[in-house]
Amino acid sequence: MLRVQDLTIRLRHQDQPLVEGVSFAIERGELFCLVGESGSGKSLTALAIMRILDRGFLPPSGQVWLKGQGGTQDLLTLDEHGMEGVRGDRVGMIFQEPMTSLNPVWTVGQQIMEVLRLHRPELDAEAARRRTLEVLAEVQLPDPERRFEEFPHKLSGGQRQRVMIAMALVAEPDLLIADEPTTALDVTIQAEILKLIDRLREKNGMSVLLITHDFGVVAQVGDRVAVMHRGKLVEQGAARTVIANPGHVYTRQLIRALPENLPPLPPVSAGSRDTLLEVQGLRVHFPVLKGLLRRPVDYVRAVDDVSFDLSAGEVLAVVGESGSGKTTLGRAVLRLIEPTGGSVRYRGNAMETLDRKALRKARRHLQVVFQDPASSLNPRLTILTTLTEPMAAHDIGADHDERVERALKVLEQVALPPDTLWRYPHEFSGGQRQRIGIARALVLDPDIIICDEVTSALDVSVQAEILQILGRLRAERKLALLFITHNMGVVEYLSDRMLVMKDGRMEEIGATAEVIARPKADYTRHLLSAVPRVAEHLGRAAASGQV
Amino acid sequence: MTEQPRSPSWSRRILGEVLLRWGARLGLAWIALLTLVAVFAPLLANTHPLLVEDAEGWHSPMLTHLTPADTALLGAFFLALVLLFSPGAPLWRFLSWLGGLALIGALSLVLVSPPALVVYEQYREAEARGEYQRVVRAPIPYSAKDYLRDYADTGLESPRSSAERLHWFGTDENGADVLSRMIHATRIALSIGFIATGIALVIGVILGGLMGYFSGIVDIIGMRLVEIFEAIPTLFLLLTFVAFFGRSLYLMMLIIGLTSWSGYARYVRAEFLRLRQQDFVQGAIASGLSLPSILFRHMLPNGMAPILVAASFGVASAILAEATLSFLGLGLVDDPSWGQMLNQAVQSSTFNWWMAAFPGGAIFLTVFAYNLIGEALRDAVDPHSQSGRSAPPVKAAA
Repeated sequence: MLRVQDLTIRLRHQDQPLVEGVSFAIERGELFCLVGESGSGKSLTALAIMRILDRGFLPPSGQVWLKGQGGTQDLLTLDEHGMEGVRGDRVGMIFQEPMTSLNPVWTVGQQIMEVLRLHRPELDAEAARRRTLEVLAEVQLPDPERRFEEFPHKLSGGQRQRVMIAMALVAEPDLLIADEPTTALDVTIQAEILKLIDRLREKNGMSVLLITHDFGVVAQVGDRVAVMHRGKLVEQGAARTVIANPGHVYTRQLIRALPENLPPLPPVSAGSRDTLLEVQGLRVHFPVLKGLLRRPVDYVRAVDDVSFDLSAGEVLAVVGESGSGKTTLGRAVLRLIEPTGGSVRYRGNAMETLDRKALRKARRHLQVVFQDPASSLNPRLTILTTLTEPMAAHDIGADHDERVERALKVLEQVALPPDTLWRYPHEFSGGQRQRIGIARALVLDPDIIICDEVTSALDVSVQAEILQILGRLRAERKLALLFITHNMGVVEYLSDRMLVMKDGRMEEIGATAEVIARPKADYTRHLLSAVPRVAEHLGRAAASGQV
Repeated sequence: MTEQPRSPSWSRRILGEVLLRWGARLGLAWIALLTLVAVFAPLLANTHPLLVEDAEGWHSPMLTHLTPADTALLGAFFLALVLLFSPGAPLWRFLSWLGGLALIGALSLVLVSPPALVVYEQYREAEARGEYQRVVRAPIPYSAKDYLRDYADTGLESPRSSAERLHWFGTDENGADVLSRMIHATRIALSIGFIATGIALVIGVILGGLMGYFSGIVDIIGMRLVEIFEAIPTLFLLLTFVAFFGRSLYLMMLIIGLTSWSGYARYVRAEFLRLRQQDFVQGAIASGLSLPSILFRHMLPNGMAPILVAASFGVASAILAEATLSFLGLGLVDDPSWGQMLNQAVQSSTFNWWMAAFPGGAIFLTVFAYNLIGEALRDAVDPHSQSGRSAPPVKAAA
């Protein structure tokens, strides 16, 4: 169907190619996965096939052969007019971010019909409308008649991604390129979208090029897979074979870095389990304000009646999908957001009764690490200042030199070199910045660190490093972690107990192994079944292969 | 522990980015030239000779005629030069410059007293009588208010028309040298831009910062105040004040400053609202840092960039406002200003191109220079327009 040969992409004014000598072929009706970490050039490859690379790039060299009714064409030598007939018509594309891929000022139906009438000019208005409704039904949007008239802002992320798929499919392309179509979505919606793509592929007999960073997704739906590393294709083959017996060192590293394959964490010395934090009936309600005088007309219950406790050396995972209130919970415990009700007790002292001064002192014991490594450090300050300023505020260390010594020790614990101190945040990668974020929390010698999605912006190999650092710190310092995440693999790997949240309410709390083996709440069961797991799919595939 | 070489700081990187752009370099060069001209105006264009040698020996009529404003400007300039190359934190050096400026200003007012009656003709006549052995004159030997009354035939003269008196840019109706007047007018052009914008910045940053950080009721009241001030037409207010209180440069600066802060307040408010949600500010709060540290170390420096951009455009519009007012004949009476010179050009019965082209060109170039700097600054602080640094983000394709 599609044969890419020796594709090379470079930036203008830069000798080092970003994608070098990539060759692969996709058969008719096949689901081909392109896997790699960020910066590996997998998205660039897709953009080059569609010829929608940015102006900053030189025209790519190599060949991209696409088979059609009129024979086989090299897309890279086609003129712009010819490409218009390919894009959307013979090759459809879906992007990662469903929130920004739709034009907010047109209705869903208008946007799909525009694509259709461009590629099928022979259709009249009535036929185009019928076909659009048909394709909306095909992607399983409930009530297509109503959705047709609706504007994108009324749809959820998953529904928008369905609309994007409908738009890509409306002209019945032979090939669908999906660039991380589920990365921005919750795991339960991811499972539905993947199932949908797989079903449509079988029904229409089209080929799919699926770009992803998640081996779980590959194991679940992929026929064949190609692994990219720094612009080069290092390995390709049947998905099952590559995952079970990776041939290349890099593939092996990637698969070993999956949380389910990581070496077990050092155990925490069993001692007296003293309870550090008790949260009772915590509520955070945001008022919905209306009118000139901004009167509250309603409340959004972001966190509603959540209770748990946390003892030294324990990891409590807070799991939930986006909008479940897990981040708000973390911030309310720290009083970064004022709770509406309930109590938070640290070593028996109620946090909510503290005045400003006492709260500042108490914050020393409860620290936080954030999700986005890009915005979690002040770009104007050196790492030295970032690390020593909190120490000075809490009178830790007698003078500046002693604080520098402490900062160096902490940097060593998060495996960063001493010259880090004199640098600025922009000089570090995402993983390094996340480690600096952990170091900033550690310099105050806290008892509890709240980790808010600390690994979700990171590649899987970097995630593995961070998880191991956290596990080691927990064992060494008897640190308690409140680990907020949506990633089940990480939860199973790191946490002792888990708390499942949905729409601000607690669904379930219990020992991690217990909850995963015997989930009590329906929602937990639903969530767990949606998680793509490498081992499970391999086992199933092997079993069906023997039959 | 030995001090290691630091990486360049954020502000240094931004400065480097700005200087990469040729527009900013041209703009900065033009402003620097204007600054030099403004500071050294009495040495560049002056009827009083710089040095004369007569029967009593060498002396300098130029020095005896320096006004307190002249000495204060010269003092401030050399103090700035010294502080620029001395060690210390930039903020500390800036504060000590301000302190020095106040001291120099006070000293100048007390100590410098030029003769109340200025007789421009005395040196020309003395020279004609042969009283001086040697005379060193300024490059342009005419003061801004020297109307050449000792010559009988003065009036409008086109550039370089008269054989015995060289006027590069011609003279105006009173016989004063246009180039000299333009040189002395740079002071008004520069100072009105800086001081009016400075006043607006101080008010805007403080009010905007309060609105952004505390939000809620403070924000609601503040925004209404901003809306009220945005509804005041600056030019008409200026006209009214000039009509009631007479013509004063300082009043003009104050009114332009007091009416143009609302834009800066909006910028600072938006920046603070955005920064408050940033993780590093939340992290600073969670680390138990004090409120002043959070506001002034973590939030303000990160929010200053867009305000500086707006300020550089604000300087340009303040210069234009003064020029407009002078053009309408409501500027200063006798002191030269570019807008007032344009006004003169219009009022004469014949079209004297040199009186319109040179001051008009100076206004155009100065406003253009500030706009170039503002645009370069905006590009440098905007992460989306950073070209040629590292690979651009690929994900933007959606």
